[in-house]
Amino acid sequence: MNRLVHSYSKFLSAVTLVLIIAGGLVTSTESGLSVPDWPLSYGQFFPPMVGGIRFEHTHRLIAGIVGILTFVLLGLLLKNEGRGWVKCLGAAAALAVVLQAILGGLTVIYLLPTPVSVAHACLGQTFFSLVVSLVLFTSKEWATAPKIASENSESLKRLLATTFFFVCLQLIAGSVVRHAHGRTLNLHALLAFLIAIHVLFILVRILRDADLQPLVNHVLLLTGLVTLQVFSGGGAYLLTLVIEKAAYPRTSEVLITTAHQSIGAVILATTLLLMLRSFRLLKPTELRTSHE
Amino acid sequence: MKNRQKLGVFFTAFTAFQVNVYAATVTGKIAFEGRAPAAETIKMDADASCKLAHPDGAKSEEAVVNSNGTLKNVFVYVKEGVSGKFDAPKESVKFDQHGCQYTPRVLGIQVGQPLEILNSDPTLHNVHSLATKTQQFNLGMPIQGMKLKKTFTAPEIMVKVKCEVHPWMAGYIGVLDHPFFSATGGDGSFSINNLPPGEYVVEAWHEKYGTQTQKVSVAADGDVKELSFQYKAA
Ligand SMILES: [Cu+2]
Repeated sequence: MNRLVHSYSKFLSAVTLVLIIAGGLVTSTESGLSVPDWPLSYGQFFPPMVGGIRFEHTHRLIAGIVGILTFVLLGLLLKNEGRGWVKCLGAAAALAVVLQAILGGLTVIYLLPTPVSVAHACLGQTFFSLVVSLVLFTSKEWATAPKIASENSESLKRLLATTFFFVCLQLIAGSVVRHAHGRTLNLHALLAFLIAIHVLFILVRILRDADLQPLVNHVLLLTGLVTLQVFSGGGAYLLTLVIEKAAYPRTSEVLITTAHQSIGAVILATTLLLMLRSFRLLKPTELRTSHE
Repeated sequence: MKNRQKLGVFFTAFTAFQVNVYAATVTGKIAFEGRAPAAETIKMDADASCKLAHPDGAKSEEAVVNSNGTLKNVFVYVKEGVSGKFDAPKESVKFDQHGCQYTPRVLGIQVGQPLEILNSDPTLHNVHSLATKTQQFNLGMPIQGMKLKKTFTAPEIMVKVKCEVHPWMAGYIGVLDHPFFSATGGDGSFSINNLPPGEYVVEAWHEKYGTQTQKVSVAADGDVKELSFQYKAA
C-alpha cells in the first residue's frame, strides 16, 4: 500500500547520504566560507567552480535538491499515508530541512561559529536517520511481520536502546571534535569504546539465539560498520591531530575525515533501525517471564 | 575656522619636521642560520587561472630564506616603550591578491589606517580576516581589479588573513597603535624610523619560527641603532 512512499524514502535516504558526504567534504577541505554570501553565491546561482567553491557550492546544490525532495516526500505522505504519526515524521523531516538551511546560512553569515557548525552536523545526521526510519515504517515487514517470541527480547531491546543513546551522544561528541579542533576527544574515545562493547554484546546475543535470525544480517552490518569506524577514527586522529598540519588539508586527511563522519551517519541510522525493528518484531516468550 | 585649520596644518607639519630631526632609527637584519627549509610545492590545480600564473609551479611562502642568508616576511615592531598617541595616516596600505598569493604576505598597519585590498587576478578570491580584536570579515572579490577598503579598530599581533577559495593563501597583518614597525623583504633588512628617544623592546615575529625580543635604547639627534635577530633552522 505504501510501496511508492517506501521506494521514495529509500531514494531520498540515498541522496541524503550523498549530501552528508558532500557536507563532510566542505568541512574537511575547510571550504565552509569559500562562498561569502548566502543564499546566493557571489550574487549568482552558479559561481565559477574553482577552489573551495567547488565543494561549498556543490553542497548547496545537493542541499537544495534534498530540500525539494523532502517536501515532495511530505506531499506523498499527506496523500497516501493513513497513520498520523508517520505524517508527523514527514513534517518533522520538512521542518528539519528548513532549519538545516537556516543553520547553513548562519554559518556563512557569522563566519563559522562552532556551535552552529555542530548543530548543523547533528541536525544533518538526525534528518538522515529520520528519512531512513521512514523507509522502515513504510516497509512490508513493519506492516505485516508477525511477532517473534524470544527469551532475549527484553534484554536485547534494553541493550539496543542504551547503544542508540550512546551513538546519539557520540554524534554530538564527534562533531565537537571535528568542529572544535579535537575538543572532547577523550569523551569521543570513551563513547567509541562503550559503543563497540555494546555492539559486541548485541552481536553475540543475536547470533546465539536462533529465534533472532531475522536480525542477523542487520547486526553483522552494524558490527562491520563499527569496526570500520574504529579504524577510520584512528586514522583521522593521526592525520589531523598528531602529525604536523600542512598549509592546507591533505587529500588523505580530507578522505578519511569525511569517511569517518559519513560512516558515523550510517551507524546512527543502522543502530536506530535495529532498535526499532527489535521493538516491532520481538516479544517475550509467553510461558515464562524474562529471566532478567 | 579656516585659519584655525591652516594653523593646525602648519603646527602638525612643524612638529613632524621636529620629530624627524631629533628622532632615532632602529635598523638591522634578520639572519637565518642553518639550512633553508625546502619550500612545499603548492598544487594550484583547484583553479586553472592560479596554475596559469605559475607555469613553473608555485612554492609555499611560509618560510622564505633570501639568497643573502636572511629571512623574509619577518614583522619587526616596537612592542614596549612607546608613549603618546599617533594618528592613523590617511594613505592606505596595499594588500594585493596576485597569482593567487598575497603580496605582501606580511605587512604592518596602524589602527584606523585604511587597508586597500586589491584583486589583481582574473579569478575570484575572498578575503577572510581572522582578527580577534577587530570584527572579522569575509568578503568576496569576484572581479579582477576590484578594490576593498577595511580598517582595524584595535592593535593585534598578528591578524591572519586567508582566502577560503584557495586554501593555501595566507597573509599576516600586524596592527599597531603607533607607526614603529617594519617588515623584511628580499634583503632581510628592517628599519624603524622616527623613534623618539627612549628605551624600547623590539620584537621580531615570523609565522613559522616564532618571536624574539631585544631591548634597545636610543638617544635623540638622529641616533641609529643596529639590531640583529637570528633565527635557526628548526
Ligand atoms: Cu583566493
